[in-house]
Amino acid sequence: MKYSFLLSFALGAGWLLSPEALVIAGNSAGKLGWLTFPALAVAALLFGLSGNLLNQSQLSAKDGNEYLLLQNTTGTIPAIALTLASCIPLVILAATALLVTSGYTFNEVFLYWFPNFGFSFLLLTLLTLLQFFSEKIIFRAQIFFITLAAGGLLFLALFGIAGVDKPVTEVLRQPGSFSSASSAILLLLFAGTTLSGTTKRPFLMPITGFVIFSLWIFVSLSYVTPERLASSTIPYMTAARKVMGEPGRQIMGIIVISGTCASITGLMLLCRRMLSNIVITKNGAGLLSVKKQRWLFPPLVAIVTGLLMARGLAGDELLEVLLRGALILWLMHHTLLCLSALLMIRKNSQSMPLAGAISTAILIAALFTLLLNNPHRNEMLLFILSMLGIGGLLATIWFLIKQKPVTQTTT
Amino acid sequence: MKKLILLLSLLLLCGGLPAVAGDVPLMSKDELKAQLNSEALVILDVRSGRDWSSSEFKIKGAIRTPGSEIAEWSKNYTKDQALVLYCA
Repeated sequence: MKYSFLLSFALGAGWLLSPEALVIAGNSAGKLGWLTFPALAVAALLFGLSGNLLNQSQLSAKDGNEYLLLQNTTGTIPAIALTLASCIPLVILAATALLVTSGYTFNEVFLYWFPNFGFSFLLLTLLTLLQFFSEKIIFRAQIFFITLAAGGLLFLALFGIAGVDKPVTEVLRQPGSFSSASSAILLLLFAGTTLSGTTKRPFLMPITGFVIFSLWIFVSLSYVTPERLASSTIPYMTAARKVMGEPGRQIMGIIVISGTCASITGLMLLCRRMLSNIVITKNGAGLLSVKKQRWLFPPLVAIVTGLLMARGLAGDELLEVLLRGALILWLMHHTLLCLSALLMIRKNSQSMPLAGAISTAILIAALFTLLLNNPHRNEMLLFILSMLGIGGLLATIWFLIKQKPVTQTTT
Repeated sequence: MKKLILLLSLLLLCGGLPAVAGDVPLMSKDELKAQLNSEALVILDVRSGRDWSSSEFKIKGAIRTPGSEIAEWSKNYTKDQALVLYCA
């Protein structure tokens, strides 16, 4: 399946514009102060370099199939397990968390009388139904969501910059203390950006993310105290209200809801694409092609997400731990892809790309930092191991059923 | 296939119904505002997780308390006090 660059970009940018990413950016800005800008630049550079590394390995660039790269290094079952564990929990948990946030936003910003959970379920239903349409329609909808969210955020940021009444240097000197954990979290902003076939232009998505977040962080630090940003659970709304008052809240409400739609649609399609890559068989007929998955994967995700919301996971602190765990699993998958690319390049007797090797080493260090510095690390580790275990079990069953998954190698 | 889509839509929408329905006596915003200065009034914010963190509205002075541990914290209050539980 071929993805045009613009569409791949729209898919990968979904998570970048999610309310969760805005919380990560706002809280990090509060903790790191001016240091957020270099930390964000490093995070963007790391993803640019790792995307470039995946591009150099050649195999991943072919139809954007990262799975083949992983399989070539780890073998079939571990590669299937890692792919399943990195994408399915993320799409389900992100959908659960983001839909709840959107429900509250709609209720509190737009219609008080409309129940927040009613809106969350309505949005889940509509986004699931969207997945039944042709990819052309899904992509058009995704571009609409992205334009609305990115346009709204840029408008608020530029409006805010125009109204800043203190010198730029003062804003850029906001005190902050370096924390490896707060810096490493910024890597999670770029989830999905390398999995959408955008590796042909590996720096474009990270640079776009860097520009958008830098502008928004600059405005947030100009209007809200770092302490408030660091402790707020909705720093984006606090900043929007300070920038533009009630209209600012309403614009941020639109950004949150469209960002949620973009994020869920993007993650859902990326996940479908990753799953379709797994099941390519020698004759090219996959059990779960992207088209066939339309009737299986989105309804399954919707039912599990709906059940999690109805069972009250949104009101449980555990959701945050699980979501962070799912994001770490995704980062783990990305890091292993980079390692696989390095090994493949070395195997093919090419010179070792130094920048790619350094960025992979930093990604590994960041992964450990995120794992070890989390106050709920035991629960998170248990979740990560469980997901990998379930992934392994499903991979084994899948392997036995299909018997001959991909045996393609690269040169 | 259309039936499948219809069934899925109904299932998802029905999943949200328990959240829409409710038969709990409520205190209106104005009623609460009128009593805000009363010393006998205690506002307990029993929201947790994302129910709390995603909400922009947090009543000043409200005490965050886990709703599930009512047997524990109810001992801390006398019968003269009016407890207002804020859950959504």
